[in-house]
Amino acid sequence: MLELRDLHVRFGRAHILQGVSLSVGKRPLAIVGRNGMGKTTLCQAVMGLVSISEGRIALGGERTDGLPPFRIARRGIALVPQGRRTFPSLSVDEHLRLVATRGARWTVERVYHTFPRLAERRRNGGTELSGGEQQMLAIARALLMNPKLVVMDEPSEGLAPVIVDQLVAVLRALPQDGMGVLLVEQNLRVATEVADEVAIMVTGRIAATMPAGQLAADQELQRRYLGVSVGGH
Amino acid sequence: MDLAATIVLNGLTLAALYFIVASGFSLIFGLMRVVNMAHGAMYMVAGYVGYSVFEPLYDRGAWYAWYAGLGVGVAFAAAFGALVQKLLLGWMQGQELRQALVTIGLSIIVADQLLAVYGGTPRQFFAPDAIFGSTQVPGIGGYPTFRLVQIGIAVAVGLGLWLVLNRTKLGMMIRAGVDDRQMLGACGVNVPLVGVAVFSLGAALAGLGGVIGATAQPLAQGADGRFLLISLVVVIVGGMGSVTGTALGAVLIGLAEQIGQAMFPTYSVILTFVIMVAVLALRPQGMLGRA
Repeated sequence: MLELRDLHVRFGRAHILQGVSLSVGKRPLAIVGRNGMGKTTLCQAVMGLVSISEGRIALGGERTDGLPPFRIARRGIALVPQGRRTFPSLSVDEHLRLVATRGARWTVERVYHTFPRLAERRRNGGTELSGGEQQMLAIARALLMNPKLVVMDEPSEGLAPVIVDQLVAVLRALPQDGMGVLLVEQNLRVATEVADEVAIMVTGRIAATMPAGQLAADQELQRRYLGVSVGGH
Repeated sequence: MDLAATIVLNGLTLAALYFIVASGFSLIFGLMRVVNMAHGAMYMVAGYVGYSVFEPLYDRGAWYAWYAGLGVGVAFAAAFGALVQKLLLGWMQGQELRQALVTIGLSIIVADQLLAVYGGTPRQFFAPDAIFGSTQVPGIGGYPTFRLVQIGIAVAVGLGLWLVLNRTKLGMMIRAGVDDRQMLGACGVNVPLVGVAVFSLGAALAGLGGVIGATAQPLAQGADGRFLLISLVVVIVGGMGSVTGTALGAVLIGLAEQIGQAMFPTYSVILTFVIMVAVLALRPQGMLGRA
């Protein structure tokens, strides 16, 4: 579905992504790694929010690199950005109506059915929500675009454990809609529960890719690449 | 008593014109952070172009002469605004100094072209009979009907803008774009196109002001500078990017000008700037502006 080939991103002298190649198919892929390894830059590059200096990005065989973000979005990539980035001036309902299309798999009604909390808060502004509600809104906004692939940048960041469990349940259900998932996470538990495959990112490169179960079980591997272990974070 | 009421009504009718022009300026600034120094030029160009449509029709006695002039003037300004954003300013998104310089240059070119084409003679529209003449206003007596209509148009513009911003999809896009332009693009919205639409709408409001203003009083060279300055003062006082703030600023400046001219004609020009300095000192974001 999504193919990244030898992707490089530079900000001035800083070489943030140093040749990332990976592919996301029907099954969710997670990318884990410590802070400052280039995970967010990777998400932004896929969405066209930062320009790449080398390499190529293709969705379903068609290149998307170099296109403006709104064209990439219309090709079928949706982003749940780090920090949620909901619009303070828009109510919950307006967020949803802004992106909704009629007759698609995900509709405003389905969002309210799936996230009853958002239905209760439909008149509230984007900043009057709790962190968990904002995250649900950011995810709902992405789903309503009915993308082929949804890219999520640290969706569990700053959420209470019980909310994280809800989040995991929502994310695990996405492939049933035929949606590809690229999940960037610091929370190893979330990454391994949602994704079948996990790529580990170290200083702008993919250091290793392995089945999620293998990483979840191997504490030595976790310590080596991530400096953390499940339950220790 | 009559005099005081007349002065207040004069202030309000002037404020109505200021609001129409400045709301367009504020709208453009709000979404695109462009200080459009050509806003006055758009006012003036709409007045002259509208007039050149109005005059021959009026001479033939066509009842719709004024409406045709209004329509063509506003449409011309809207198209001109769209082209300016598409061809010039769209390439320098976020580069405020460059945009300011380009729009200043543009307004100089426009003013010279208008001088070359229309010469220096002042032009004035004649309003259609229905809104011409005078109306009895309680407590004042006879008052020019068109000036009252001017207030009605300003109220309609204010309500219309509020509805567009709060009740339409374009309005949602504009508000979301003010919050987080990049994220709006990632939501599949063609933000540059929204920018062109907003610029065109803002320029159309300048154009509406141009025709209305040239009906209330003669239009002459120099109107561009005057209305650009007024727009700047009004939105600085009221608060950038807020419709209500622009209305408040317009009322304050309109009243201050008229009261000043009645009470101390020699120094009345200063009053506007005293208000601006006071607002800047006490509340730099403007009376209703967001910090």
